[in-house]
Amino acid sequence: MVALAPLFDAILQHLTLVFTSLAIGICLATPLAIFSVFYKRVSYVVLTVINMVQSIPSFALVAIIVPLVGIGFVPGVVAIVLGSIVPIVKNMYVGLAKTDIALIDTGKGMGLTDLQIVRYVRLPLAYPAIFAGLKFSAIIANGIAVLTAIIGSGGLGRIIFEGLASFNINKTLSGAIPAILIALSLDMIFSIAEKKLKSKSVY
Amino acid sequence: MTKIYKESKAIDDLSFEICKGELFVILGSSGSGKTTTLRLINRLIDPDEGAVYLNGNDTKTMDPVKLRRKIGYVIQQIGLFPHMTVKENIGLIPHLEKWKEEDISNKIDELLTLVALPPQLFRSRYPNQLSGGQQQRVGLARALVMDPPLLLMDEPFGALDPLLRMQLQNEFLSIKRKLDKTIVFVTHDIEESFILADRIGVMHGGKMLQIGTPSELLFEPANEIVSKIIGAENKFKAIKFLQAKDVMILIDKNCLIESDISCKEAIDKMISGKIDSCIIKKSNSDIAHISLIDLLNEKDKERSVMDLGNKLSVFAPSDTLSSIILLLKPSKESMAAIMDHDKVLGIVRLNSVLMNLI
Amino acid sequence: MTVIDTILSVWTVHQITLRTIQHLYMFSIALILSILIGVTLAILVYSNPKLANIWFNVLNVIEMIPELALFIFLLPILGLGEKPTIAACVLYSILPIMRNAYTGLAHVSNEYIEIARAIGLTKNEILLKIRLPMALPLISSGIRVAVVYIMGIVTLGGLIAAGGLGVPLQAGIYRYDIPAIIVAALWVGTLGVFFDFIAWIIENRLARRFNPW
Repeated sequence: MVALAPLFDAILQHLTLVFTSLAIGICLATPLAIFSVFYKRVSYVVLTVINMVQSIPSFALVAIIVPLVGIGFVPGVVAIVLGSIVPIVKNMYVGLAKTDIALIDTGKGMGLTDLQIVRYVRLPLAYPAIFAGLKFSAIIANGIAVLTAIIGSGGLGRIIFEGLASFNINKTLSGAIPAILIALSLDMIFSIAEKKLKSKSVY
Repeated sequence: MTKIYKESKAIDDLSFEICKGELFVILGSSGSGKTTTLRLINRLIDPDEGAVYLNGNDTKTMDPVKLRRKIGYVIQQIGLFPHMTVKENIGLIPHLEKWKEEDISNKIDELLTLVALPPQLFRSRYPNQLSGGQQQRVGLARALVMDPPLLLMDEPFGALDPLLRMQLQNEFLSIKRKLDKTIVFVTHDIEESFILADRIGVMHGGKMLQIGTPSELLFEPANEIVSKIIGAENKFKAIKFLQAKDVMILIDKNCLIESDISCKEAIDKMISGKIDSCIIKKSNSDIAHISLIDLLNEKDKERSVMDLGNKLSVFAPSDTLSSIILLLKPSKESMAAIMDHDKVLGIVRLNSVLMNLI
Repeated sequence: MTVIDTILSVWTVHQITLRTIQHLYMFSIALILSILIGVTLAILVYSNPKLANIWFNVLNVIEMIPELALFIFLLPILGLGEKPTIAACVLYSILPIMRNAYTGLAHVSNEYIEIARAIGLTKNEILLKIRLPMALPLISSGIRVAVVYIMGIVTLGGLIAAGGLGVPLQAGIYRYDIPAIIVAALWVGTLGVFFDFIAWIIENRLARRFNPW
């Protein structure tokens, strides 16, 4: 068996990796998605790039970070953001852009500004799509966070790689099982957050 | 209020005025530019040439958001926000305008009552918990929340079934009477336009072909196209929705004589007024018609006119021509008086009206 | 050394041609298995939404497991190498294919089914002649998702001795061999984008030929 203290540290490190990357991902994705809603050309470029990034194997993304950023925690975060931002942008864009034209029209006719329409009409109606994207993104981030241990980001992946190198099945399991549990709880956390947000009044 | 636009395709060199307080219907088929015209008013689109004037001010100089908050807007799809309750839908703009919560709440209750939805039952419902008619009432309440002097309505009853549509049209007319608003109402439904309109503007191919009251359009269409759109060649159908006010002959003051004068006085009055028939108002429900010849034939010239004349049936200005015909037919009367409360407005001569309809 | 020389040297030293062949071999096997299993399962459950839902819930949980963690669970059963890699690919790819195939089969507009019945087709004939062809565009977009998944997981197979293009990536990282990393990563990336593009073209063709949705 493995000592509990290093495992605990690894879990903490892993969660830090995942949540830092998610936070950065959301901060980058939101303006991208909103710009894409209002500017056709931006949306075309963003969607094309994003679709390409999505089809690149995550291992290749992680590897290419080494010559570009180096190794360690920060390169790990960069790789995770790169690999997991796609569903956030995509779903946010689709959610915000597909709003019923009649609703946008009445919103405008009532005298809402473009940003107020985003805030009061488009955004709340896009919650299901956005949360589906966030959930998916969190799951992917968790997966890549295991992988980035290979470029020295730390986290649960380190325990798995060490276990693989020494053919220690118990050690690999002690890394893999928490990683799976984290994935399941991420899914749950976002489901609960969505319900909380939905039950709140719109303003 | 004056508007002048020149837009090459959808709107073609359009210029017309809408008067304060009237219900102006823009009638036209799809593609006639009627909706475009409406959207030009609240600047959902801007004209390529020309301008829209509101109380003499060019709307282009106004902030579109502020402008729209002063103009109510109702569309066929209703556009109630599905994620907001009735209360939140109506209260959104007041909330953004930072009204006090209490004021918003009171206003919402007042408006819901106005559109015949009991507030305590409907405040907290979501749009998908409402019927189509209820949704459209909430849509109207929402458009009225900022107490806008101008209301734009784009086929608001278009998606409802005919029976419900008729009911809402009537309700809307009575609500309209309670409010002092200028309303621009877009529809492709001739019947609806005749029922609601003070004046109708007929649009086709981005042009305003003719503006007039329902009977003006029906009896004096400006050209072939108007006549086709209005269905003037088949005017007879119009008896269903032409109202008394559209076809009555207005009564001149001289033609109205009091009931307490004698036959002789009445004759003098008519001869000096150069009229040969007149209306006697005996009471609010007892109106009679008498001609000069009848008066001259009367032997007892000192007799009060109270006892003379042919009694006329009385109708309200909004009664339809068909209901008048139906009621007059059994007694073979050919004339009816139109009264608004205790005021005699005019008379309808069935023969001449029907002659016009053929 | 010029850039081309560097590339050529990395290519020979790391046996990229051989690795690519291994890579595409695993990719093809995994994709074919995923399609066969995914579509078969969809056919088995399309008339039973409750059963379908149970399947989807189970597959959904598998989908959440990090790829490496799934490898770890497959190792004791299948050992190291190609087998656990292909197994992991299939486990991840069944869901998108099966879900799309299920949607396509189960939600064919009722009027078509009515007409098919009216002209005397049996249930199986309706499945083969009506439902399956009409579901093709949806199935193909599920396959496109699977293509991307499988490309990613086969690459990870390098970490558990399955060969393929993950091997030069891993070697490059461990030895801090920057040219190897760049060449291998760009090559894998290009392959990923290329196969996604091919899948996209097929998806588009099918959707344009008959899109009942």
